[in-house]
Amino acid sequence: MKFWNGENEQMVKEDLEQVQLERLQSTLNRAYKNVQFYGRQFDSLGIHPNAVSSVEDITKLPFTTRKDLGDNYPYGLFAVPLRDIVRISPSAGTAVKPVVVGYTKGDLKVRDTITARFLTAGGVIDTDIVQICLNPGLSGWGRALKEGAEHIGASVMPMSHMSTSKQLMAMEDYRTSVLLTTPSYAMHMLGVMDAMNTDAKRLALKAILVVGEPLTQETRGVLEAAFHVDVTAGYGPSDVMGPGIAFECHEKNGLHICEDHLLVEIVDPDSGDPCASGQTGEVVLTTLTARAFPLIRFRTGDLASAVAETCPCGRTLARMTGITGHTGEVLTIRGVKVHPAQIERILKGASGASSPRFLVHLYKEKHLDMIEIWLEITDAIFSDEVKVVEKALIRLRQQMFQMLGLEAAIKLMEASTLDRYAAPSGGVIDDR
Amino acid sequence: MLRIRNLHAYYGRIQALDSVSLHVRAGEIVCLIGANGAGKTTILNTISGLIRRAQGEISFEDGRINGLSPEKVVGAGISQVPEGRQIFGPLTVLENLQLGAYLRFKNKEKAAIEQDLERIFQLFPRLKERRTQIGGTLSGGEQQMLAIGRALMARPKLLLLDEPSMGLAPLVVRDIMNTISALRDSGVTILMVEQNARASLTISDRGYVLETGRVVLQGSSEELLNDSDVKRAYLGKDYKTFWEGRGPV
Repeated sequence: MKFWNGENEQMVKEDLEQVQLERLQSTLNRAYKNVQFYGRQFDSLGIHPNAVSSVEDITKLPFTTRKDLGDNYPYGLFAVPLRDIVRISPSAGTAVKPVVVGYTKGDLKVRDTITARFLTAGGVIDTDIVQICLNPGLSGWGRALKEGAEHIGASVMPMSHMSTSKQLMAMEDYRTSVLLTTPSYAMHMLGVMDAMNTDAKRLALKAILVVGEPLTQETRGVLEAAFHVDVTAGYGPSDVMGPGIAFECHEKNGLHICEDHLLVEIVDPDSGDPCASGQTGEVVLTTLTARAFPLIRFRTGDLASAVAETCPCGRTLARMTGITGHTGEVLTIRGVKVHPAQIERILKGASGASSPRFLVHLYKEKHLDMIEIWLEITDAIFSDEVKVVEKALIRLRQQMFQMLGLEAAIKLMEASTLDRYAAPSGGVIDDR
Repeated sequence: MLRIRNLHAYYGRIQALDSVSLHVRAGEIVCLIGANGAGKTTILNTISGLIRRAQGEISFEDGRINGLSPEKVVGAGISQVPEGRQIFGPLTVLENLQLGAYLRFKNKEKAAIEQDLERIFQLFPRLKERRTQIGGTLSGGEQQMLAIGRALMARPKLLLLDEPSMGLAPLVVRDIMNTISALRDSGVTILMVEQNARASLTISDRGYVLETGRVVLQGSSEELLNDSDVKRAYLGKDYKTFWEGRGPV
């Protein structure tokens, strides 16, 4: 099957625009009426939803930021009563408070449809055996992918805590035909296979679909050659919405945006003005069908550009490039969004009044992102007793994992060593 | 087939429609649901030209029809069945139907009109039985059938139905809804306004929910029938408890 929603994925531009306008207007009416945050924001700027008489008019509306999501924790941005919510999905977010996204039954159906489009475009059909390998920080997506694949009718092995060698064993023994993972974990698996002397020919894999991180042409080439499969990518901001709101088709030439369910704008990260086609800017998302958690002009912090030409695959849905970077300080580590301030808060909690000086060191080990916190030795943390220090470090690691869903190594350093990097506390040294 | 963008309409200084956009594809049944005064009938009256001072864009089969007189709108292929039937009480069933083809009489399509009469009598055998009866003496359901039959005599491509089930007994409502389904199968596209949201969503493909002149929700009929908000507000499932306001608690 080439399309999941042939009719909607191949809509004539004029029809699509009408559907987008209708859905945008009703989304604005609902958000304005039901969500105090949007109501206040619109009122303070003197804007009424009826100011939007075309899809292009969306630029008249204010942006929503990750800070707004944190400020309205937990339920402040919900547009329906809690009793209509069937799924509450938290993610670490990048502010003090985590981000809580709610879904109604209908919202989950829409997400299944969107995910099924992504999976179908990557070649998944109902007879496939689908294995999902994601880290705990992306568990929300793990569920979305599981449900999307089940929606297609495939047999799904959800994400689990098995080691890489066990995952590979399962992949071989269960005759897994589709692997859903991040690009770096797929590369990591390849390395482990080499170490185990396993041959990819013993696997039944036919496709790998990757999410969470940008897929470079180089990585795609290596994976396709080594596994003898097609590799396609999906995109979504990891803390809200699903993993395949934009996805590659077999042309592997840009990601098709599910334009009937959300609007994508590319804007200049500094001025907020729309970017010309082909020019790189920040991805800004507006939901068109979400009932529980409507988002209006949400700034993802991801950088990409629009692809102008129509795609030979037959989909009329507009395309964007893969993510080429991020704005501001937000880091993406194994697909999980992390803000250095989050780390600072954990350290502050551990050491009392003020956070000790620290640097974040990112590097790759066997193709996986690794995160190290370099912590200055201070009296607050340091003790003469090794046991006490070890205990403190273990606790910090646990807190890091609970907060971010990532394993972080913590290294104690002399102040003079940190001085060499000439970076302010919380600075990032990215060796990836 | 029908495409409406940013429709604004006023009764005096009161705004009845606030930036309404909707569309109907050929062969669809689309229904508008909402409380009294939400603007449903205003939309139909604006399309059919009864309200002509409205802002926005109404296009029908690639031509703009805003501001056209009602007879020109009928000529373009849109007929309206008004709320409360509004048949001509003193006239016979046959005369009522013939009046529906008034524009076509002028165009000398006599033979075709006779054929259509037969078609309508096939669709509504009851009207054939009562062709000589005075319209005002028909039952409510029969009057509704007559009103629909009269609108069909203009050979519309799009039929606008305003509250077809109003004041009818539940069994008769089912008959009327079945008739509307059959009409669609015979190639007529339908835009319908209904208070009886459940009955109308059951036979329609898509729906729009209106609140105080604005569209607040749209979707397939299945989506709307399963939507908690729609259930509470329009399907009589008002199980909201006293401590629960609108919006998140």
